[in-house]
Amino acid sequence: MSAVPAILVSELTYAYPRGPTALDGVSFAVASGECVGLIGPNGAGKTSLFLCLCGVIVPRARTLVLGGLDPRDPAQRRRLPSCVGVVFQNSDDQLFNATVFDDVAFGPLNLGLPPDEVRRRTAEALAAVALTGLEERAPFHLSGGEKRRVALAGVLAMRPQVLLLDEPSLHLDPRGRREFIRLLNGLPGTKVIASHDLELILQTCPRVLLLDGGRLIADGPARTLLADGDLMEKHGLEAPYSLRGGR
Amino acid sequence: MTLIFTPPPRTDSPLSRLDPRWKLVAVASAAAAAAVVHTPPAAAAALAGAALLAALGRLPPRWCLTRVGAAVLFVAVFAVPLVFFHPRNDRAWTVGPATLSAAGAETALVLVCKAAALVLLALVLAATAPLDATLKAAHALRVPGLLVQLTLLSYRYLFLLADELGRLRIALRVRGYRNRANLHSYRTIGAVTGSLLVRGWERAERVGQAMRCRGFDGRFRSLSGFRTTAADVLAFVAVVGGAVGVCLLDWLR
Repeated sequence: MSAVPAILVSELTYAYPRGPTALDGVSFAVASGECVGLIGPNGAGKTSLFLCLCGVIVPRARTLVLGGLDPRDPAQRRRLPSCVGVVFQNSDDQLFNATVFDDVAFGPLNLGLPPDEVRRRTAEALAAVALTGLEERAPFHLSGGEKRRVALAGVLAMRPQVLLLDEPSLHLDPRGRREFIRLLNGLPGTKVIASHDLELILQTCPRVLLLDGGRLIADGPARTLLADGDLMEKHGLEAPYSLRGGR
Repeated sequence: MTLIFTPPPRTDSPLSRLDPRWKLVAVASAAAAAAVVHTPPAAAAALAGAALLAALGRLPPRWCLTRVGAAVLFVAVFAVPLVFFHPRNDRAWTVGPATLSAAGAETALVLVCKAAALVLLALVLAATAPLDATLKAAHALRVPGLLVQLTLLSYRYLFLLADELGRLRIALRVRGYRNRANLHSYRTIGAVTGSLLVRGWERAERVGQAMRCRGFDGRFRSLSGFRTTAADVLAFVAVVGGAVGVCLLDWLR
């Protein structure tokens, strides 16, 4: 793990137009290669933070850098997709092409890569998520777990330095969830995983950020924070079953 | 699931092996010919040509007939009254109190044949190549990328909207709702339509965000690897020749 931060956020604030403040003075850094869990109750600001990090919405911040790029700067924002990959909550929002191949190739094509390189990256990304052979299938004919893996392949094909995953275990059955956790643990690079599934966070992330009401409440080792039943309860969460120690 | 939301069958046939670009232009020419004719022999020839293409494309007959039948029924609603109320009022036959017009019957027949031929040609195109291949062919033929992308996205999300509608219908039924001709039903249908529109709009926002996150800048890009063979050119010449023949038949009458 390198000491150079892949994500550096300082005093990030965002309020939706005519809406509430979604993020309020959030500051943290994620080292290159680190895997960090982002937890918090509904409406804590997890998805809004992801949208700020990937440049979809533009927040106010003292510092906001991902892989050396500032998402607030329009010129740098255009280069951001090659550096930051986002897997959204609902895979159906992310799979918009008529075939699995076209969907995975969508990002590399947008990067302006030559056709052979696009084909190579698409094949590699599909192999990485164990979906080789499904290239010609229509995304709407896939199971929830397969859709999630295609969505991940579409992001991996762009070879991002930073991977943001929003509720990756949502709508997955136990087997699909187990396979996805194995897949996540095998992926290199910097990862930030937002989830209510604290067992998943425990199995994938050594460090956790706790967000509530748009503020960063805690930042520390996953096992310590998640085992703090009072802290979890205070912020609308529950300590994972495996850490309850007989309670 | 209604007919609209059932994906077309994939057929293995000589037509499905043709280059989608040549096939698209040939079928479009045939459709244009079927649309412009206005004599019964030419309209019947157009329908026969479309049926021949459907047979060559090995389209499942039942799948074809249900769709063509639905289109013919729809057109018949407008065509059949022509037999009774044609402006020429030539009173060819009298059946009881009704007088039937020969010109009206002719126009009705032409309309029905043309509609059936057009639907059949669309089915040939849908069943002999995946929609994405046809749309990529359209883009290769200089159809604007925005139009191609919009069609692809509409096709992709049509199924999701259909699923959402299905879930809403189940939710209504389990709460005792049944379609009836009363104010409560109309209000409920309005609310469901509004809900679908709002969900569709929200989904469009999220899809747009996901596209931007993967570097989308508004341009349609694809890895289309089309290759022309002698069979493509021959099939094109045969279909376009048939279309010209239908037009000539119409003109000579």
